[in-house]
Amino acid sequence: MRVKRLLSIIAVLLALLTSCQKSDFEYDETPQGNLDALWELIDQRYCFLTYKEKELGISWQEMHAKYSAKLNAKMSRVQLFEVLCQMVGELKDGHVNISTSLDLGRNWSWKEDYPENLDTELRNQYLGTDYHIGSGLKYTILPDNIAYVVYESFSDGIGDGNLSDMIAHLRLCNGMILDIRGNGGGELTNAEKLSQRFTNEKVLVGFTSHKTGKGHDDFSEPRAEYIEPSKSIRWQKPVVLLVNRSCYSAANTFVRNMKEMPLVTVMGDQTGGGSGLPFTSELPIGWSVRFSASPSFDARMHQIEFGIEPDVKASLDESLAADGKDSMIEEARKRLSGQ
Amino acid sequence: MRYFVPILLCLLTVVCSLLSQQAHAEQTTYEAVPDRSPSARTFLIGIGRTNQLDTYLSPMEYKGMQISFLTQSERMTHLAKRHISFQSTFQGVFTSADNPAETATYTGARLAYDAGWHYHHSPLKGLDLKGGALIGTDLGFLYNDRNGNNPAQAHFSLDLSLSAGAAYQFKLWKLPMRASYQADLPMLGMMFCPEFGESYYEISQKGVGHDILCAHPGNALSFRQMLMMDFCLPRITLRVGYLCDIRQMNAHSLKYRDTSHSFMFGIVRHFSELRIKR
Repeated sequence: MRVKRLLSIIAVLLALLTSCQKSDFEYDETPQGNLDALWELIDQRYCFLTYKEKELGISWQEMHAKYSAKLNAKMSRVQLFEVLCQMVGELKDGHVNISTSLDLGRNWSWKEDYPENLDTELRNQYLGTDYHIGSGLKYTILPDNIAYVVYESFSDGIGDGNLSDMIAHLRLCNGMILDIRGNGGGELTNAEKLSQRFTNEKVLVGFTSHKTGKGHDDFSEPRAEYIEPSKSIRWQKPVVLLVNRSCYSAANTFVRNMKEMPLVTVMGDQTGGGSGLPFTSELPIGWSVRFSASPSFDARMHQIEFGIEPDVKASLDESLAADGKDSMIEEARKRLSGQ
Repeated sequence: MRYFVPILLCLLTVVCSLLSQQAHAEQTTYEAVPDRSPSARTFLIGIGRTNQLDTYLSPMEYKGMQISFLTQSERMTHLAKRHISFQSTFQGVFTSADNPAETATYTGARLAYDAGWHYHHSPLKGLDLKGGALIGTDLGFLYNDRNGNNPAQAHFSLDLSLSAGAAYQFKLWKLPMRASYQADLPMLGMMFCPEFGESYYEISQKGVGHDILCAHPGNALSFRQMLMMDFCLPRITLRVGYLCDIRQMNAHSLKYRDTSHSFMFGIVRHFSELRIKR
């Protein structure tokens, strides 16, 4: 009897302990379930809600009702995709995307609403055909002994050897034009590695924090970010950093870093912004959602989500472009030549 | 998921090979397994279902399969008039699970080791009850194949568990058999958990110090239980059973839960103090 009782207790324990696990899966796959999941994801995890509500004059709380009204149970996936994209589009954040097999949901107003200030064919004429390629870097020496370096994407890796060889090759030039127009970002480590070549001492370049909870203002204490000088060869002459509205994400962070370097002048248009480190999540329907999760700030704790103002405003002059000249590069050359 | 069948076949081959070696190596005939085997080593492999929730990676619960192996050794010590045994368990798990829409996959692996002592008591002939404590560590990861800056989550814990079990030996159709059950419940320890929106990029820059937390049933209610049946054949003891492993964490507004139910099978080797027929 005692054995039977013991076995019965074990069986009951077994059943209890394996069945008490309740799923947290609270969303259904209906259009409303997906909208709820997306709204809650942004509400709890998006790092710029308070800032965006203030700057853009929106209320995320009201978005739920506004876009729920556009749903119906029989709507197609395409229609649902459009409604969800419209809702997150209100945030005007290039790091907020809904990725599906249908399309990539995006809001690229940070660059599409402004002049591009870049003609790649024109830029290629300055590079010529005998330029050097050091992994993601393209560089040459212009006739007036100015180094011209193009870095198109921070996704293109750069090694310490590439940077050392490039600086050694350009060391006799009078200055450097570093052209990152059109650079939409990539790896932050590449931005940091390149910045380290332009300072001889440790420089405070900004701050970063992350969300610590679901509340809109639950953030960790801002942590200072420094750029340490590279232990290899470093650039010691004036630099003009050419930027445009397409400089986004890691490129925006790079501009933030370079603004703190004493020999660097940032020239061009305001950058595109994108100062939130994006995370990825998903919706019940299986679509992937990217969103800004950790904000970064400049050295004065200012938001750089909507971009960084250049030190010198410059834009592409279409009339000069017709003559095969890039007015922004020409302006940078003049500045570096001391004219 | 498509790799499970070949991997399982490989594991089956390994087990068959081990069984074959065992059969050749053991030239003795066992009458039965003693109530408390002085020393026993178990090697099991398993296949089962797993449900995984990790809100750092996704709010969705992923479901899939897992394969695992478990080796366990248990020996009676001379402590408390041979009432105390030492047990060590090493477990490895490989999982693959899909989200409900089957558009993303988690791939995970986990290694766990624990060791400790049990006090044994036999209130009836053939029945062995035991209770004790284990110290264990658990190290693993979960990787989501489409996440960007939060592609994976690391798991680490070090804890002290309470452990209890029972074993009952009986004969069925003249075949000696042994049913055993053991449950382990972590009570106190430490675990790693990133903060809610903290990236591993940031963790790599400032270290993990503030991400190590005290673990207790209030924030990490985990549980492992095994129900096993031994078939004591003339030259070998086969073991089949059920393993339920529940790992949970609820900290920094993040939830992690890995619930698995596996069918386990393998062999048990008993050493010394066996009655040998010459």
